[in-house]
Amino acid sequence: MLNDDLHFKESALSFWKLFFFLSISIIFLFFDKDLSLSQKIRERSNHLIQPIYKIAELPNIFFNNINQHLNTRNKLIEENKALKKKIFIQSGIIQKIPPLKEENKRLKKLLDSQDVTTSSRIQIAELINVNLSPFSNKIIINKGKDISLFEGQTVIDTFGILGQISEVNESFSIVTLITDPGHALLAVNARTNKRIVISGTGDNRFLKANYVSLNQDIRQGDILITSGLDNIFPEGYLIGEISKIGNDKDEDFLDVKVTPSSTLTSNKEVMLLW
Amino acid sequence: MVILNTVHFKISLFLFFSIIINLLPLPDIINSCRPPILLLILIYWSLAYPNKINLTYAFITGIIMDILLVTPLGFYALTHVITIYLITIYYPQIRLQSNINKMFSLLIILIPYIFMSTVLNDILEIQYNILNIIFSVIISVIIWPVLFHFLRIFRQKYV
Repeated sequence: MLNDDLHFKESALSFWKLFFFLSISIIFLFFDKDLSLSQKIRERSNHLIQPIYKIAELPNIFFNNINQHLNTRNKLIEENKALKKKIFIQSGIIQKIPPLKEENKRLKKLLDSQDVTTSSRIQIAELINVNLSPFSNKIIINKGKDISLFEGQTVIDTFGILGQISEVNESFSIVTLITDPGHALLAVNARTNKRIVISGTGDNRFLKANYVSLNQDIRQGDILITSGLDNIFPEGYLIGEISKIGNDKDEDFLDVKVTPSSTLTSNKEVMLLW
Repeated sequence: MVILNTVHFKISLFLFFSIIINLLPLPDIINSCRPPILLLILIYWSLAYPNKINLTYAFITGIIMDILLVTPLGFYALTHVITIYLITIYYPQIRLQSNINKMFSLLIILIPYIFMSTVLNDILEIQYNILNIIFSVIISVIIWPVLFHFLRIFRQKYV
């Protein structure tokens, strides 16, 4: 009897607790987007969160180190050779760039169009390799206010645009990838110079192009670059390639899929543009 | 030193480490259907000490997870609180069950988890694949007996 009574009291108490906590979390969920509560908490408790990420990263770093030690000498020599060759070829390509820049400037002057200032400063940041929730298209990098990052800053890797910084903390910041469902940017088709709105799908392998009318000149394999019109991404960086065009006569727009050119899933380092 | 020996302190420390386990990076294929390990561990402790480990713990760990995993604040808190509430109601029955029955009970207890994660993801417009969530639940049911056994050994030795 006594036991039953206790159990009953507890469950009555826990019902009120449930009610209390449920209402708090629902209130949090409602107001988080507008008040950015979690962002403020992360900003304040930066010094507590950073070590937790560091600890979570440790096993990965450990295995990577073992891997490095086990790399044979021959393998390293081969890798070195390949990298040297790559640098040789790329520096050959780079030689062409200054004259092209000048030519571009001259042609733009002839056309009376404004010269677009390209970003000059590049900084490298490393990924903090922790597991965020499986469907979030966000990554964490290990630089923050210490090198004066700002919200909306462009993040790229060696192949193309990765995303933009959505939250800056003292020593780490959060990058929203271009594949995030809430993210969209204005691209330009490099072949036709037509503007296209590209938005994320949540799947890291695909982007989609919105509002492409049925008669628009668009082909598989067209390359999309940033337009610079959204005032967030600088002009002329690679976004991706059109991989599939689905033509459904009943729809008002074409169903266009874009393969992002940057490696969105397996990065170690990213570049930040100023 | 008194604080260091209390059950609350030991379990909090344990939960802290399980949060870190939850953060460990894994390959993409496993990652998309990884089981909610922190929730499973929380379920075990609330089965073992239903008077001590209850909704407060569920809420606090949920909020910490939300902050660390950059999900909207309250997402994990809500799922944790509802799941642990079920445990606080049904723990006398679940404790007496055999291992296989426990697996089935876990499956039933995790149904709100599936429901909450799909509905919340829909409301918050987060992209998800329902198969991945179901897979993660199936995996957690499969690993449950092993996890239970390990945690029980740990509890008998240290707590």
